[in-house]
Amino acid sequence: MRALRRDRGFLFGAAVALLMVLVAVAAPLLAAAAGQDYTTYHDNLLDSARGGVPLGRLGGISGEHWLGVEPGTGRDLFARVVHGAQTSLGVAVGATILQVLLGLFVGTAAGLGGRWADAILTRLVDLVLALPILVLAISLLAIVPSNWPRPLLLAAVIAVLGWGGTARITRSETLTLRTRDYVAAARLAGAGWSRIARREILPGLTAPVLTYAALLLPTNMVVEAGLSFLGVGVRPPTPSWGQMLSSATTWFRADPMYVLVPGGLLFLTLLSFVLVANGLRRALDPRQREVLLQ
Amino acid sequence: MIGYLFRRIGGAVLVLFGLSLLLYGLFYLAPSDPAILTCGKGCTPERLAEVRHAMGVDDPIPAQYAHFLTGLVAGRDYPAGPATRHCPAPCLGYSFETDQPVTTLLLDRLPVSASLALGAEVLSLAAGIGAGVLSGLRRYRWLDRIVNGLVLAGYAVPVFLVGLLLLLLFCVQLQWLPFPSYVPFTTDPLAWAQNLLLPWVALAVIQTAAYARLTRAGIQETLSEDYIRTARAYGLPERRIIWRRALRGALLPLVTLTAIDLASIMTSAVLTETMFGLPGVGQLLVGAVNQIDLPVVVGVTMLTGVLIVAANTIADFLYAAVDPRVELR
Amino acid sequence: MRRALTLVLPSLLLLAACDGGGGGTSASGAFDPATCQGGTLSVLNQGGITHLDPARLYTSGGGNIPSLLFRTLTTRNRQPGEAGAKPAPDLATDLGTPSDGARTWTYKLRADVFFEDGTPITAADVKYGIERSFAPELPGGAPYLRDWLQDAASYQGPYQQPEGIKAIETPDDRTIVFKLSKPEGDFPFLATATQFAPVPKAKDKGVGYEAHPVSSGPYMVESYAPKKSLILVRNPHWTTKSDTLRYACPDRIEVTAGLDAAVINQRLISEPDAVTTDAVVGPEQLAQLGSGGPLDKQVARGEFPATYYLAFNTKNAPFDNQKVREALSYAVNRTSVVNALGGSTVAGASTTFLPPQKALGYQQYDFFPAGDSGDAAKAKAVLAEAGVSNLTIELAHSNEDGNGYGPKVAAAVQEAFKQAGVTVKLTAIDDATYRDVTGKPATERGASLQYWGADWPSGGPFLIPIFDGRQIITAGGNFNLAQYDDPQVNAEIDAINALTDQSSAQQRWGALDAKVGALALTIPLAHEKDVFLFGKNVKNAVPDGWRGTYDLARISVK
Repeated sequence: MRALRRDRGFLFGAAVALLMVLVAVAAPLLAAAAGQDYTTYHDNLLDSARGGVPLGRLGGISGEHWLGVEPGTGRDLFARVVHGAQTSLGVAVGATILQVLLGLFVGTAAGLGGRWADAILTRLVDLVLALPILVLAISLLAIVPSNWPRPLLLAAVIAVLGWGGTARITRSETLTLRTRDYVAAARLAGAGWSRIARREILPGLTAPVLTYAALLLPTNMVVEAGLSFLGVGVRPPTPSWGQMLSSATTWFRADPMYVLVPGGLLFLTLLSFVLVANGLRRALDPRQREVLLQ
Repeated sequence: MIGYLFRRIGGAVLVLFGLSLLLYGLFYLAPSDPAILTCGKGCTPERLAEVRHAMGVDDPIPAQYAHFLTGLVAGRDYPAGPATRHCPAPCLGYSFETDQPVTTLLLDRLPVSASLALGAEVLSLAAGIGAGVLSGLRRYRWLDRIVNGLVLAGYAVPVFLVGLLLLLLFCVQLQWLPFPSYVPFTTDPLAWAQNLLLPWVALAVIQTAAYARLTRAGIQETLSEDYIRTARAYGLPERRIIWRRALRGALLPLVTLTAIDLASIMTSAVLTETMFGLPGVGQLLVGAVNQIDLPVVVGVTMLTGVLIVAANTIADFLYAAVDPRVELR
Repeated sequence: MRRALTLVLPSLLLLAACDGGGGGTSASGAFDPATCQGGTLSVLNQGGITHLDPARLYTSGGGNIPSLLFRTLTTRNRQPGEAGAKPAPDLATDLGTPSDGARTWTYKLRADVFFEDGTPITAADVKYGIERSFAPELPGGAPYLRDWLQDAASYQGPYQQPEGIKAIETPDDRTIVFKLSKPEGDFPFLATATQFAPVPKAKDKGVGYEAHPVSSGPYMVESYAPKKSLILVRNPHWTTKSDTLRYACPDRIEVTAGLDAAVINQRLISEPDAVTTDAVVGPEQLAQLGSGGPLDKQVARGEFPATYYLAFNTKNAPFDNQKVREALSYAVNRTSVVNALGGSTVAGASTTFLPPQKALGYQQYDFFPAGDSGDAAKAKAVLAEAGVSNLTIELAHSNEDGNGYGPKVAAAVQEAFKQAGVTVKLTAIDDATYRDVTGKPATERGASLQYWGADWPSGGPFLIPIFDGRQIITAGGNFNLAQYDDPQVNAEIDAINALTDQSSAQQRWGALDAKVGALALTIPLAHEKDVFLFGKNVKNAVPDGWRGTYDLARISVK
C-alpha cells in the first residue's frame, strides 16, 4: 500500500479513473447541470447547406453548449460525452465482472478438479484464447436481433469471448495454492472441494486476479469502442465514445472538435486505467512485474 | 516430435470444426434470410422460394452443414444454369452475394492483409527492440522514462483512434500523403508502401509498446544472469557483452512471438482495414456479415483459425529450437 | 448517403440522380461529341459492380456503368432536365408501337447493331436475355416483367424450361412482340432495363456469364473482379452511327469499387480524370462549395426522384385513427430530418409523396401546414380533439444510416414527436432484413421509416406499389405499408396505366397523389438531392433528367 501511495503514475491514474467513474455515474446530473440533455436537437445551431456543421467556432462552443454541439443533429456534445462515459465504462465494467466470474469458476474447477476435468477445461481455455475475438464478436452481434438490450449484450459477448486469460491465471494459481499446508489441513479436516475453493483458495487468488482484472477493464473498453466504431455496438440515440468517433470520421476537417473531444476522453480514460493496473501489479504482484500485458 | 505434430493438427481440426459448427448454429438461430437480399426489391414469395432453392438455403441447416463438410473434404457441384460448376476441395462454397468461390475471394484478399501485417510487424519490431534495448540498458534515465510513458500510452490508444488522428494530420491537415488506397506490390512497390505507411504506423504504435516492454525486461534479466557477470568479470568489452550475449537472450522470446503476432494482425486488423479502406480479409468479413453472406463469414473464420493455429505451432517449434530447455510435448 | 431502390446493388443502379438544371457546367458549352475521343476515365465508387449479368442488375434507365456495355430496346434520353426524363429508342427503331389498348407492344430492331464478336443482334437474342432473367439461378432483377407479361409469373427460365415465354414473339429477326396481361402505357420506360439487353444463347454460361458478358454497347469487358474492379475497353463492333445517345469518349474506363466516400471525394479533387457514380459529397467538400472557389467548377447537382417518408400501418391502433396520423404530420420537424440526411444540399423537405419532378406528375400540396420545423401546439390540439392523450408509439427503422431510414432520421422524428407530447419507442431492425420485416404485414410495425425511389421517371412505379390495394402482399415483399385499399383509387390507377400520352398521365398521377395525401397515410419527410464532384479534366459532366448523375457514356477526359 505504501508503494502505491508513492507511485505518482498510479495516483494520477487513480484520480482520473475515479473522476471518470463519477462522471459516468452522475451523467444525467451533469447534463442537467449544464441545462442540456443528450437527445434534444438544435437545428438552429447548424449550417444545413454545409452538411450540418455546427455554426460558430470550435464546433459551436458557447455558454450553453460547453463542448459545442454534434454536427448533423445539434445535440449537446457535453451531454452526449458524459452519457457516452456511462456506456463505455458500464459495458467495460460489466464485461470485466462477467469475465472474472467465468474465469474464476472455470479456473478453480480446473485447478481443483481431477485430471480429466483439468485436461478438458484446459483445452477449452486454449480454444477460447485462440478465438479471434473481434471477428467473432462482429459475427455474433450482427446475427443477434437488434431489439435485444444492446449494452448488456455487448458486455456478455465481450465476456464470453474473453474469459480465457482469467481462467488460465486462476488455474495456475490454484494449482500452487492447493499444495499449501493450510489447504491440506482443511482437506484433512474433511472440508469439501467447494468449501475449500471458497474459504481457502479464493482469498489467495485475490491479488493476481485483481491485477489481471485491472488490465482487462481498459482492454474491454477498447473492444467496446471498436465494436461501436464498426457499427455493431450500442444503438443510437445511446451515445458511446466509439460510435461518436465512428461518425466523426466524416467530419474530420469540417468539425475537428467532434473527433478530438471523444477521442481525447477515450485516450485519457484508457491511460488512467492502464496506470492503475500498472501500479496495482507492481504493488500486489511483484512476480509478474514485467509480464507482457495481454 | 511427430506425435506432437499429430496432436497439434488434431487439435486444430477440432477447433475449426467447432468454429464452423458454431457459425452454422448461429446462422440457424438468426432471423435473416440471405435469399431476400439476393432476390432483390419486389420479389414475390413464389420467386423467393425458387431463389432459395437455387441457392441451396431451403435445405435444413444440418443438411447444409453436411454439404459444407462434404465440399471441404471432397469438393462439390453447384447448379449454374446450363451446366454445373465444380468447386474442388477444399471447397468453402460460393458467396451468396457475388457467386464467386470463397477460396478465390480469400486468396484475393490475403495479400492485402499480409502486406499490412508484414509492414506493421517490421516497423514495430525495429522500433520496439530499439527502444527496449536503450531503456533496458538504463544508460539514460530520461529515455527510460519516455519509453515507459510511450509503452503505457501505446496500451491506451485504440488503433482506430491512432488511425483517425494520423489521417487527420497527414492527409487532411498537412496533405503530405494521399488518402490510403491499396496498390498491389507487384503493380508499383513505391505506391504500395506509400499507401500502407499510415496503416502500418497505426498498427505499429500499439505493437511497439509490447515489444519495447518485452525487450527491456529481457535485457534487464539477462544482464543480471551469472554468465553475463562472469563475462564482465573476465573483462570482456561491455559493447560485446551487450550485443553478443544480452541481446540474444532478450530477443529469443520476441522472435517466437512474431509468428503469432503476424497471424493475429493478418486476421484481426478489421478495424485498421475499415479505417483505411484496405480491401483485406477483415473488410471482406465486415461486408459479408452485413450481407448475411454465410459462406464468406465461415470462410474468413476458418482462415483465421488456420492461421492462428499454424502460427502457434510455428512459435512452439521456434521456441524449442532456440531454447534447448523447452521440450515439445 | 447511400440510396438504393434495390437492396443488393445499390450503386450500380439508381444511384444518383439529378434533374438537369443545375451543375456540370464545366466547358459543356464548347463540347463536341465528334472530337471528344481519347484518354482513360477512372470511376471511383463505394459499392456496386457486385454483378455484371444483365439479368441480375436492377437499374433505372439501364444504369450508368451497365449501359456502357448493354444496349437495350429503349434507353433513357440522356438530356438534362425534363427532356432527359423520357425514354429514347436504342436497339429498337422507335419507342414501340402499342396496340390492343397498350396490351401489345411491337418493336423493330435496327439493322446495324452487333455484338462484340461481330454477330448481328437479333430479336431472338433480346427474347433470350429476358427469359434468362426469369431463372432462379440469376435473381436480382426488377420484378415487373413477371407481373406484366401474359402467363409468365411461374416461368423458371430457359435452363429449366427451354420452350421459352409464349408472350414474347419473334416473327422475324428484326421484330419482337410483347403480349401483356393488362394495359401498360409505361412499357417504353421498362424497356430501358438491362433485362432487355440481348444475350447470345451460344455464349450463355449461366451463373458464370457475368465474368465476361457479351457486349452490345460501346465498351466491352477487359477484366472484372466483383465488388473490386472493372476495366472496360472499346467494343470494335459498336459504331457512333448506330448509337447517337452514347458519345463513348474515353478509350478506356477503369472502375474501382470498395472505396470510402471521404477518400473518393478527396481523390476527385486531386485526380483530374476521375468521376464517381455513388459517392455524394460529404461535409468536408460542402464547406468548400458555393464560395466561388475552384471546386465550384467540379460539381454536378441533380435530383434522383426519391422520397424519404414515414409509413403508417393503418391496420394498427392508433394509426387507424386519421386524426392521430394528421397530428403527427403536424408535429414532424423536417429541418431535423434534412440535417440528419446530410443537410439542405443533399436533401430537401417534402410535404408531397411524389418528389418534385414534373415527369412524375408532381403537384404541390401541404394538407397539414406546420412549416419546416413542425407545429407541436397544433399537433397537441389535434390529438386533444381526437380524445387521445399520453400517446406512446413504436417507430421501426433500420440499424444503418446509409439508406436514409436509419437511426439518425429516427432520432430526429422521435425528438419532434416528443415536443408534441408523443413518446416514441424506437425499434432498430437489422438493415439486411429491414425491408423484409416491414414488408410482411404480420411483422410490420405500426410506423416505420422508408425510402422510395423511381424505377423510371413516371408516377406509376412511384405510386402503384404504395397505394394500390391489390398490391397488398401478405406473404412478404409488400410496399403498400398502409394496407390501404380503395376501389376508386385502384380503378384510377388502371385508367392511367392505359394512357400512352405521358403528359395527361402526369396530370392524373399528380391528382391521385394529392387525393391520397389528404388521408395522411404516410408522412412525406424529404426528397433526395445529389451532388457529385468530378475531376478537373472531366468535360460534359451534365446530370441527366432521369437519374440525376452525369452520364459515363457522355463525359470526356480528353
